[in-house]
Amino acid sequence: MLVVDDDTSILDTVSSILSGEGYDVMSAASGQEALAAVSRKQPVLILLDMRMPVMDGWAVARALREQGSRVPIVVMTAAESAKRWADEVGAEGYLAKPFGLDELLATVERFRDHGGRAN
Amino acid sequence: MLIFISVAFHAVRQPTRAHTDMTLFFGTLAFVILASRIATVGGGTPPPLLIAVEVAVLMATPYILLRLVDDFTHVRALVKRVAEFGLAVGIVATFAALPELPRPVILYVVGYFFVVSIYCAIAFIRSARNARGVTRRRMEAISLGSILLGTDLLVVGLTPLAPDDSRAIFQALGQLLGLSSAVAYYVGFAPPPILRRAWQEPELRSFLARAASLPRLPTTLDIVRELERGAANSTGTAARIGLWQEDTSKLRFWEDDDAIVDLEPGTHFAGRAFELQRPIFSADPIRDNPDSAASYRSRNIGAVLATPITAGERRLGVLAFSAARAPIFAVSDIELAGLLADQAAVVLESRVLIDHATRVRAREEAARLKEDFLSAAAHDLKTPLTTVVAQAEFLERRAVREPTAPADLAGIQRIVRESKRLAGLVGDLLDATRLEQSGLVGEREPVDLATLAQEICAHDTVDRSICRVEASAPVVGAYDRRRVEQLLQNLVENARKYSPDLTPIKIKVWQEDSEARVAVQDSGIGIPAADLPRIFERFSRASNVDDKRFHGMGLGLFICRGIVEEHGGRIWVESEVGKGSTFHVALPIADGRRLN
Repeated sequence: MLVVDDDTSILDTVSSILSGEGYDVMSAASGQEALAAVSRKQPVLILLDMRMPVMDGWAVARALREQGSRVPIVVMTAAESAKRWADEVGAEGYLAKPFGLDELLATVERFRDHGGRAN
Repeated sequence: MLIFISVAFHAVRQPTRAHTDMTLFFGTLAFVILASRIATVGGGTPPPLLIAVEVAVLMATPYILLRLVDDFTHVRALVKRVAEFGLAVGIVATFAALPELPRPVILYVVGYFFVVSIYCAIAFIRSARNARGVTRRRMEAISLGSILLGTDLLVVGLTPLAPDDSRAIFQALGQLLGLSSAVAYYVGFAPPPILRRAWQEPELRSFLARAASLPRLPTTLDIVRELERGAANSTGTAARIGLWQEDTSKLRFWEDDDAIVDLEPGTHFAGRAFELQRPIFSADPIRDNPDSAASYRSRNIGAVLATPITAGERRLGVLAFSAARAPIFAVSDIELAGLLADQAAVVLESRVLIDHATRVRAREEAARLKEDFLSAAAHDLKTPLTTVVAQAEFLERRAVREPTAPADLAGIQRIVRESKRLAGLVGDLLDATRLEQSGLVGEREPVDLATLAQEICAHDTVDRSICRVEASAPVVGAYDRRRVEQLLQNLVENARKYSPDLTPIKIKVWQEDSEARVAVQDSGIGIPAADLPRIFERFSRASNVDDKRFHGMGLGLFICRGIVEEHGGRIWVESEVGKGSTFHVALPIADGRRLN
């Protein structure tokens, strides 16, 4: 599982929650770090922040698709247009900030034990 | 003779004083020429009586010229009386001296002619210098005519005194000068329409050429002034534009010193032209509008032409021309005034449209800024909230599941940090609202800005930033400590936010005259010149700020300006893109001394 967010507090919080729940978690504080992490190890799910400097969520999603990666993406954003943005990048779902613990875990749960695809 | 006939024809069609005077003037010239021709053809010496009549008519010529000066500008009554007396004396002396004109009488006649002609020439030259456009050219032609006539008379008067063998040259020169002067007078006094149009053409052309750029002048008054100048030059008169004010239902004029004069529609010539929606001409405004006689006299206005400025159905205002005397105007000027008024209407109407478009754009821009602000505020508030909510819930779940597990210090610290960040943002939002309603600055106390800057700097110097204070002495004033601290904090945070890591931030604190001065200098990304004027506005952020990298609601500097201005101070910025920015603050210090 890969968590991508330029806000280090959110990154650390989400990463530590997911590790605490027993997930195998990688974290990336930028788009470039995210692509590097994916090339090292294919995650089962990417939690992707959209508004990031230099390389934003759209660019990350595009780069992944161009590489032929089919990793499911869940968009994390504080914007009103969360659903539209999720559709734009072909994401499997979205988490609208601020999201609670249950919301986060329920979303992630759907991808546990699935080899990369949601049902 | 031809000129005389032409002018006489005009006088019959339009029997005004000026036309009569012109006819008389050219009539006297024609008579003198005709009489001398007849005498020459008849051979021998002309009868003494004819010579006396000729001399009398000749003497009347400059007097009539003086009347013409009065027709076009103004001649003092005393001057007129003296000229009439001088003329009477000359004529009486001439007839009394018959059959032979003694030399003193000849000298008197020539002297009279010369002095009055010179007086007229000077009067016309002076009015040419004050006039513009076509009127200036007319006055110049008349001045030239007067100079030629004066010279002619000098030559004619000197002819009998000249040696016999050169008399013919003198006579030829005299006739040439006389003819030239008559042509110059004719061109000036009664310019044929084609010449008048040719004179107006360059002024009109330059006016029309400039018209296209007029609607974009900074203010409506600037446009009015340019239109007035163009209209004045094109007609050779003084021009004033009055604009219809919807809110007060009055016509507004601006005097030379920009003083405002409001006119009821229907009053004066301008108001009547506006109300009736047709041009109004008065060759004698004192008679036609006696209520304003004093004003016309004091401003030397002897003729008025007013024409409405209308764009389709919309009545925009009125264009009023005035001149010292009616003959300044030509019949065709009413038509020309209409053309100029139409042009003014186009310019003013364009201005209205441009203003409207600007207002719409400003409204759209304000709406966009507000939208941007809402979206930025939502983003900025939700980001720390995400950590606080998720992390707190996770700690709670952990505490329930494993009550004995050691505390997750890192998680707690994240909640504390993000809660503070959230508090700061909420504080900014509340401050910005308060600033617009009741003000921010509360109770004041003596505050040493140098010490305050040091505290803030020490607090701000963390592993990724360096902050230095330059202050040689305490700088104490009476300020709201919390707000001034917030001000410096904001400026330092901004400097750090927009600078590369590890580049120093410098705070200079000093006193200059009766002001405390603070300068916060960074070597960051800088602010584009185009953004500088708006940088202290609400919701405003420099265009080179990457929204995704630098979150912010654009309230920081707005709050800073509020704090400074409420203290009676000033805040400004010097900046160069890529080199960095220096924010300057000047706060009054006098109150602080008193407190101490």
